[in-house]
Amino acid sequence: MSGIPTVLITVSPEVSAQMRPPRAMYPNGFKIGNSLGKPNMVELQKEVLKDALNLLTENTRPGSFETKEYPEYGEYHEPTRVGRK
Amino acid sequence: MAKLSRKCVPFTPFDKDLSKSTIAIVTAAGVHRKDQEAFNIEDDLGDLTYRLMDENVQSADMKVTHHHYDHADADKDINVVFPIDILRELVDEGFIGGIARKHIGYMGYTMRLKQMYDETAPQIAQEIDRGSRADAVILTGG
Repeated sequence: MSGIPTVLITVSPEVSAQMRPPRAMYPNGFKIGNSLGKPNMVELQKEVLKDALNLLTENTRPGSFETKEYPEYGEYHEPTRVGRK
Repeated sequence: MAKLSRKCVPFTPFDKDLSKSTIAIVTAAGVHRKDQEAFNIEDDLGDLTYRLMDENVQSADMKVTHHHYDHADADKDINVVFPIDILRELVDEGFIGGIARKHIGYMGYTMRLKQMYDETAPQIAQEIDRGSRADAVILTGG
């Protein structure tokens, strides 16, 4: 297998971090069920998807997360926290 | 297979031009075509199967079967978890080169994590690696 470059869009970054994804983006404050944004907000969904795809060409640190701000989403939902031991 | 340290991050470099690249979607959001068998949400252990969609899949023909997140928004617009129409717009704009021949939906809730990791995940990787023509994959959860 030649290997497949991936980029994850996650709305639960602390949960996703446990699996050490090679590239990951967290759209700040998006709720679970809204990875790309809200229904029919096409321009927002395009912006989120482009930002995620652009991580493929950037010099990201494997295992790290990029948090991006999308004020047009209009809400903030606290992401699932992973309990500290 | 070599044992990886817990801090090891699997990483495949992407050395292409996005505008010439083909992109696939793999989602854990319980997405499938309406004419495909729904994920089994009666099984408390979770459903370890996945569904294949081809590059012509229409968003109106898709649905979500998942009992561990509120998918009311995905029910209205599948693109919020499976951005197939958005990918098409990005092709039209020339931002990406094309859409992969295969896309995958599975149900990310499981109590059989090891089995999902050892079986489902490699199967999905193989589907993408063989015949999807994907240069990269967008992963989404819910």
